Amino acid sequence: MEPAEVEFLAEKEPVTVVPNFSLDRIYLIGGDLGPFNPGLPMEVPLWLAVNLKQRQKCRIMPPEWMDVEKLEEIREQERREDTFTPMPSPYYMELTKLLLNHASDNIPKADEIRTLVKDIWDTRLSKLRLSADRFVREQEAHAKLDNLTLMEINTTAAFFTESLNHMYKLRTNLQPIEGAQSQEY
Amino acid sequence: MPSTKHSMRYGHTEGHTDVCFDDKGSYIVTCGSDGDVRIWENLDDDDPKSVSVGDRAYSFALKNGKLVTAVSNNTVQIHTFPEGVPDGILTRFTTNANHVTFNADGTQIAAGSSDFLVKIVQVDDSSQQKTLRGHEAPVLSLAFDPKDAFLASASCDGFVRVWNIAEQICEMSWSLLQKCNDVVNVKSICRLAWQPKSGKLLAIPVEKSVQLYERDSWSNQFNLSDDFLTQILNVVSWSPCGQYLSAGSIDGCIVIWNVVTKQCIDRVKHDRGYTICGLAWHPSGGQIAYTDTEGNLGLLENVCDGQVKKSSDKVQSVATRDYDSLFDDDDNDFLNREPVECQEEKAVEEDDDIIPISGRLRHHGPILDDDNSIDDVPSPKLGTDPGKTEVEEDGYVKASSVQSLTATAFQRPIYDGPKPTPRQKPFQSGSTPSHLMHRFMVWNSVGVIRCYNDEHDNAVDVEFHDTSVHHAMHLTNTLNHTIADLSQEAVLLACESTDELTSKLQCLHFSSWDTSKEWMVDMPKGEDIEAVCLGQGWVGCATSALLLRLFTVGGIQKEIFSLPGPVVSLAAHGEQLLIVYHRAVGFDEEQCLGVQLMEIGKRKRQVLHGDPLPLTRKSYLTWQGFSAEGTPCYVDSEGIVRLLNRALGNTWTPVCDTREHCKGKSDHYWVVGILENPQQLRCIPCKGARFPPTLPRPAVAILPFKLPYCQITTEKGQMEEQFWRSIVFSSHLEYLSKNEYEYDENYKNQTTKEQQEHLMKMFALSCKLEREFRCIELAELMTQNVMNLAIKYASRSKRLMLAQRLSDLALEKEAVLAASHQQQEDEAEEEDFQTRINAGYSRTATEWNLPPPRNVECEQDTEALNDADAPEGDEMEPEEMPAMSKQRLNSFSNDVSSPETPSIRSGAVISSSQGRVNPFKVYSNQKGVVASGSSVSPNILDNMNKFTKKSTPNNQATNKQKTLVIKPLMPKPKSKLTQGTLFHSATPKPEIKKTKQKEKESKTENTVPKISISSEKTENKKPKTGFQLWMEENRGDILASNPDLEESDIIKEGMSRFRILSSEERMMWIEKAKGGGGTAADSTEIKKRKRETDESKDGRESQAGEPADDSNTTKKKKPLDQSTSMKLSTFVFKKD
Repeated sequence: MEPAEVEFLAEKEPVTVVPNFSLDRIYLIGGDLGPFNPGLPMEVPLWLAVNLKQRQKCRIMPPEWMDVEKLEEIREQERREDTFTPMPSPYYMELTKLLLNHASDNIPKADEIRTLVKDIWDTRLSKLRLSADRFVREQEAHAKLDNLTLMEINTTAAFFTESLNHMYKLRTNLQPIEGAQSQEY
Repeated sequence: MPSTKHSMRYGHTEGHTDVCFDDKGSYIVTCGSDGDVRIWENLDDDDPKSVSVGDRAYSFALKNGKLVTAVSNNTVQIHTFPEGVPDGILTRFTTNANHVTFNADGTQIAAGSSDFLVKIVQVDDSSQQKTLRGHEAPVLSLAFDPKDAFLASASCDGFVRVWNIAEQICEMSWSLLQKCNDVVNVKSICRLAWQPKSGKLLAIPVEKSVQLYERDSWSNQFNLSDDFLTQILNVVSWSPCGQYLSAGSIDGCIVIWNVVTKQCIDRVKHDRGYTICGLAWHPSGGQIAYTDTEGNLGLLENVCDGQVKKSSDKVQSVATRDYDSLFDDDDNDFLNREPVECQEEKAVEEDDDIIPISGRLRHHGPILDDDNSIDDVPSPKLGTDPGKTEVEEDGYVKASSVQSLTATAFQRPIYDGPKPTPRQKPFQSGSTPSHLMHRFMVWNSVGVIRCYNDEHDNAVDVEFHDTSVHHAMHLTNTLNHTIADLSQEAVLLACESTDELTSKLQCLHFSSWDTSKEWMVDMPKGEDIEAVCLGQGWVGCATSALLLRLFTVGGIQKEIFSLPGPVVSLAAHGEQLLIVYHRAVGFDEEQCLGVQLMEIGKRKRQVLHGDPLPLTRKSYLTWQGFSAEGTPCYVDSEGIVRLLNRALGNTWTPVCDTREHCKGKSDHYWVVGILENPQQLRCIPCKGARFPPTLPRPAVAILPFKLPYCQITTEKGQMEEQFWRSIVFSSHLEYLSKNEYEYDENYKNQTTKEQQEHLMKMFALSCKLEREFRCIELAELMTQNVMNLAIKYASRSKRLMLAQRLSDLALEKEAVLAASHQQQEDEAEEEDFQTRINAGYSRTATEWNLPPPRNVECEQDTEALNDADAPEGDEMEPEEMPAMSKQRLNSFSNDVSSPETPSIRSGAVISSSQGRVNPFKVYSNQKGVVASGSSVSPNILDNMNKFTKKSTPNNQATNKQKTLVIKPLMPKPKSKLTQGTLFHSATPKPEIKKTKQKEKESKTENTVPKISISSEKTENKKPKTGFQLWMEENRGDILASNPDLEESDIIKEGMSRFRILSSEERMMWIEKAKGGGGTAADSTEIKKRKRETDESKDGRESQAGEPADDSNTTKKKKPLDQSTSMKLSTFVFKKD
């Protein structure tokens, strides 16, 4: 899966916006939205929120967890524990990126949040790499990773499975050769 | 006696706080780790003045209008008090200062910082500094000797030192405290204190006791402790009289000792056991303010009362008691007393300055002697206790001041009754207090106006929720506007007058189509604008001269009138103006407000004539305005939202308690708007405050409404609440229709449907609970159709008694309705005639253009009145037809409820004249029947309400007949009514035939196929009513017996005779009639019927040309069949 596809999935996440226009209920394949009342917060999918924001038709309210203190806490917990901790949103990275890129004026302390989320992301990815490393080195057959988000899986999944295949091939190839050699001698 | 402890309240964010009273004791001042100094008028002050002094404030001191703070940028700075204007920096350290304190006369401050230094700085000349070096760790606390000779300091190094200020040397040091390396780790901040005035004793909190050291000898005189104390003491503070000592511990205990008796006189425990870190006595004694490390502020009152009783045997306490009781008696007299006391103190201090310290005692003698000689206070006792000279000294000083006070204070009679409440100040709904630097001037349904007033900028920002109204505006606020309002058309700003400038009203009329969009009006000199509002096309402004001035939105001055009292707030919506003003002075913290509601449209009238505005006890008004639908509503400081109930004689119904939704005690909801459809209370949640800050931008939340009904947890209570809430929140529809505003018909149907559903549910519930009487009560609230349902329900659930009663009730109700309608009709008609012709209301102008000549005729006799109306209706009909037919078509295409549309329509037209004869009279029975037919149809609930209302007038005759024929046992109809009915039904006929154009009629029929279906049935059956048949036969008889009877009288007579018949006979006639009707009903399919209808109608019309009695009979027959036709129509509809 491409990161873009993951992002596409993330765009279905609901976010709260304050529209500055008035519109009746709209009927979409994914469900009905609205009615839009100017000044009244309402939940819309991320894609619509970003679109409205780009057209300056709304103000985006940051999700509850997108707050410096809460993220700091999450970061500390993530650092403290060896396993992956549950994230506030399964699409935290995508949400952060999209919201901060398009609506940084609506999010207080946007820069700090960006850094914090990046920190959390880095911590988790390094954990992921470490566990992958251990998995390979100890030649385990299976491993269980909880609380990984789709985007995180997506960063390694393709490469990792491919490389496991390769390693498997190499290993299986190696043994017959050895066997052949031994036969030769 | 224990002192009164007030519950703690939120003061600052978590962290170290400090507290003190200002010199006069009229304010409590606190500082906290949020960097703000707050000035509270009292503990309940929800809107303290905040002065931002830095990122964090560690300590502050207040004296002589100077506020000195130690803040996190390592400076000690000065602000003016109470304005809070920065007034320079006194000194700097390399790290932050931990404590600052004034000396007794406020000329010097001492500051101790974490860089181990103590500095003493002249307040008026910060270049004169003395630095005291010696501590080997951060300095925690300082205390100035009241005589300015010494300075005591406590430090993290465990030492308490006494410095000689003049020589800048350490006079004495004790190692008393636990050592630690930094302020954050310290257990006790060790706020030590000198005994006021004499400076005789130095109190130092050490572990769980307070150690008192004597001046000069520096020996430990005694310790004060108490079993109550389980943790280390943090702060000590002397009462201003120097006789009492209070101490606060780190687990929240506050203990007060009498220093003389060394007895503990009071013990108080903090509710949550937080560390007490600030403790201050009121300058008069009686109160102690304290703060904890969680940022809460608390207050102890009546601390003195305890003293009086406990120590009344002591000599000096006599003086103290007088002193204290004096203050207790009239707390509001500080201002008067203060100067006296100050002088006294000053005198003493001046003496001190001149005379060397050692000579102080001696020097006091003469003063005392003087006092005694003119004293009428119990002075003989003074000085009789030589063993306690030190303390007595204070007592004497006080005695002298008391005595001078008595002169001023005791002469006045003391008022002991309920205290008048200060009047609440005028405000704009949706604004935050005007002293804030960044504030909302208004937040309403249109947009937000913010005001910035700081060093950089003095500006007003206007932002619209809906950007399609107008783009955001940024205005420089040169005139210093403080009042604003915003509507879809304009921005209104107003400023108060200054010394040079008069008060001004400025309007930015952005929706104007010409180029000059702004206008400004100056108020007369000495008249200040206090509140403004923007209606649709007009502007209102209330001034301090108790005037309400109206302008057009373009700036033309319009009406002006006097207000009955000082304005509190104005609100406008469309043509309505809501004024709340002070009716009188309130007592015991209650406001006494009055409310006026006016309509300022084409026709101007006052709806509420200065009625009292009900407020929750001890609350004041915080918001007032209109719901989006135009119903007045308001919110008080207890968070109760009330809505005007126009249906209940303009009373106010509480619809929501916002405090119910708050999590914390000091949380509030700041209301910004109310909607009735959908039911929404839009407000902004504010944590720990009454109003939101401008940044971060607050988000609107929606609260549901809930009427405070009893037993809301039970199913019954819930349904009752829902039902009445629905009633309350749909009452605006009636108002709207009455005032010719547009409104959503579907919504109205929906709400009535909803209400009836609630009723039905309650009915079912009561049925289940075997509460049959209650069922009947509920049924009385039901409309006809739902009543039928209820009857069905009752009969199906085998409650035949109930069903029987219900059907009786249904009939009774019908009759009553019909009667009232008839009456109204008659009355309203006559009134309307006059008023309408004279006033020429705009709405009905069209109708009334035509008929005048006829009217003149009509007025000849009362009967004719009805005649006149019917044709009128007919004439009107063609005019309205084009518009209506469309409407009808649409509605018909939807569902069976269709017939309502026309009837409602007509209802709306008529509404003001209530019972005016239905313009569609010709069809009246058709409609009626259709409605009743549909009532049985599956979609009953869709149409219920209207049916009953609209159909009944048409059916009145029906009802009567029904009672007569089918239910002979029913209460007899009043003869008067019958007569009316007869006139009504009888007379129009001939006219109709003449005036009516058949084409038009048939057109209508075509557009309204369904109507015609059912109408046809009625029509077909008409000639076959029992009564009519009977009448035909017996007419001759009647005429014979009473040859001189008029047509109507003949029928009347006929009816009475018919009634006298035995039931068998009557049944016979009815059977006869039915036999005919049945065949007709069964016959043919729809299209044919339609044609038939037309024909039959035509036929009927021509028939009607004959003597009126005939038409009467036809008329009466229609109703007769109603039940039959109802059944039949059900049948037909079911077939469909």
